[in-house]
Amino acid sequence: MNQRLPPRTALFGGLLLWFAVLGGVLSWTVHSLAAWSIDELTCEAGHDNLAGFPLTGAVALAVLLPAAGAATALVVSVLAWRRLRPGPRADDDRSLGRAHLLAVVGLWLNVLALAMIVLGGVAALVLPPCQR
Amino acid sequence: MASSTAACDTGPGPEAMASLSRHWAEAPTLRNWFATVDHKRIGRRYLVTAGVFFGLAGASAVALRTQLAGPEAGILSAWEYNQLFTMHGTAMIFLFSTPMLFGFGNFLVPLMIGARDMAFPRLNAFGYWVFLFAGLFMWASVPAGAAPDGGWFAYVPLTDERNSPGLHLDVYTLGLLFLGVSTTAGAINFIVTALKLRAPGMSLNRVPIFVWAVVATSFMVLFALPVLNLDNVLLFLDRRFDTRFFDPGRGGNVLLWQHLFWIFGHPDVYIIVMPALGIVSAVLPVFCRRGIVGYPLIVFSIVAIAIISFGVWVHHMFATGLPQLSYGFFSAASTIITIPSGLQIFAWLATMLTGRIVVRVPFLFVVGFLVTFVVGGVTGVMFALTAFDQQITDTYFVVAHFHYVLFGGAVFPILAGLYYWLPKLTGRMAGERLGRWAFGLVFVGMNLTFLPMHVSGLLGMPRRVYTYPGGLGWDPWNLLATVGAYVLAVGLLLVVAGVIHALRRGEPAPDDPWGGDSLEWATSSPPKPYNFPVIPRVHSLHPVWDPRTAESTGLGADGDRILAEGRGTLLTSELDGRYERAVRMPQETLKPLVAALGLLIVFLGLLLAGYWVAAAGAALVVVTLGAWLWPPRQTPEEADPAVGGGAV
Repeated sequence: MNQRLPPRTALFGGLLLWFAVLGGVLSWTVHSLAAWSIDELTCEAGHDNLAGFPLTGAVALAVLLPAAGAATALVVSVLAWRRLRPGPRADDDRSLGRAHLLAVVGLWLNVLALAMIVLGGVAALVLPPCQR
Repeated sequence: MASSTAACDTGPGPEAMASLSRHWAEAPTLRNWFATVDHKRIGRRYLVTAGVFFGLAGASAVALRTQLAGPEAGILSAWEYNQLFTMHGTAMIFLFSTPMLFGFGNFLVPLMIGARDMAFPRLNAFGYWVFLFAGLFMWASVPAGAAPDGGWFAYVPLTDERNSPGLHLDVYTLGLLFLGVSTTAGAINFIVTALKLRAPGMSLNRVPIFVWAVVATSFMVLFALPVLNLDNVLLFLDRRFDTRFFDPGRGGNVLLWQHLFWIFGHPDVYIIVMPALGIVSAVLPVFCRRGIVGYPLIVFSIVAIAIISFGVWVHHMFATGLPQLSYGFFSAASTIITIPSGLQIFAWLATMLTGRIVVRVPFLFVVGFLVTFVVGGVTGVMFALTAFDQQITDTYFVVAHFHYVLFGGAVFPILAGLYYWLPKLTGRMAGERLGRWAFGLVFVGMNLTFLPMHVSGLLGMPRRVYTYPGGLGWDPWNLLATVGAYVLAVGLLLVVAGVIHALRRGEPAPDDPWGGDSLEWATSSPPKPYNFPVIPRVHSLHPVWDPRTAESTGLGADGDRILAEGRGTLLTSELDGRYERAVRMPQETLKPLVAALGLLIVFLGLLLAGYWVAAAGAALVVVTLGAWLWPPRQTPEEADPAVGGGAV
């Protein structure tokens, strides 16, 4: 697949594909670590703000920014999935088949990652940050 | 559908075959028994050793269930009970499940990807010896009366020096650190093997599901195990040198242990189950006479579980008083992770629905897995919900749940895999009738043992108690569970009897007795030391059902895939399996054994506070590794890449 492309295009396409595969779960990782640690450490210290910024707002940022990242990765993975369909003679270009598999994996990973971030956001909406 | 690769009758000539045998065969000497680096022999040793540890842990469980058969029983003292239940859990998790599945991986991964050995054969041998010594290190503490006694997750402050004096928990921390060396070495080896030694043409979308599962598991091991190792180092330092990591009175944090333990512990559930699910995906399609339904979605499921499992650990800590919003984040992930697991279940059901089922013993164990794993999965979803979890935490309901997950999710697939690959492992067929009896007893015994525990748990029976008072409504459920444990034990003994019978009197196995689709069925049963006379060229996800792969090992065999002039295998590219070059593989050597012995001396020295002994052991390890890594003297011919310059 890549042999016909200029090296710079091939590199950019490869990076874009890996973003489509892993962008969502990386966003969810950021969300989990940021939202959890901000909430836990601030409450443990007996505060309800983070350096003057309301704790609820900080948690909301830790939900919204990763959600935007996961949604972007989802869009990229859908585009990749649609454009990388192997033809009937897939054996001739196994790179295309492999890339299509990665796009499918990325698409569903992004859906799950976005769902987890949204559910975490719902929890932030209904639960006071430091309630035990 | 019919096996085609094995049927090809042309390929390398007699001279090439003789040369391959000369380079790969290990002379049957006592030295070579200890020095072997053959992945098949090492894989079989993993299976047997893990099976022995399973027997010891199982015998412990029967003793525990006998004690709990009725109220106020006095068969075991609390002191003995605590050691036995801790060793039962620790051994089942660390010394049986993972090593057993690593054993299958060791034997099968190179065969399934068309390679001649693991990427690092000496590291592979080293991993086995370390596993054996670590297992002996831990089990030897039982007759010495110094076995771990703080439960398999060893919560502080119960396990600190003040509350658990003696060597018990030092055996635990050091034993797991010792074992971790083996698991880490094995994981690295699996990853490099699967990424670099696949047969030409085996792009990522043609990799068998079992290999995907082993690689994902190996990545999980590499990320999860360092956290457990850190936890154990900190506890050992607290106990031995009075550091303060877990002492809240002196600036430590008692929940730090739990966080670190479960950051490892929950992925470890999947580290155990994932390769077993890979076995199911390998076995089931063959007995449904079709390819697996939803291959890309199963790959997605494996990758998703491997990643998300690192974000759910706090659901083991829902009763520790953390902020509820924190619980919400982890509850969300714990609920979502059931989706990829469920997806695999539906893919297997669809495979059965659309296939033509042939009921043989491996298939029966797969069906047993499906039933029990779904029950364990359903109670698992319940634990993801904070309110429910807080009601039944630390009761027998939890014990019932994780035995359905781990016995259902790992032992049934392991037994399915054992019956399925026994012809390839031993060259003998197992008896069908004895296998069906074994399945029936294991299935009935397993459910009779663990189903009643749901009820006793809901009735409030706490886990980790060595006895209980009568008249609380727990008595009949405990008696049923104990009867079930004995039925289960008889069933497992029948499995052992079946394997021994097959080894002594089993019918010789053909190369492909089941009509399998992956490359291990394209070679002899048991395989020759070099695995494949010609490294095949792969054209599809089902290479043995694909005549083009057969052609690649017969008339279409290239010299660069025979590699007869040396002990060589092929390197290919990571993503698309493109041919790169040939590499030379190392010969048998005693260095892995000596290095593992050095590590044993290190850990014995640390355990018994003989720090000079530990230093001597460390010196032995360093010297051995130096000799191991010293560049070999090679003639220009030996360094020829066609034969393979530089052993991998």
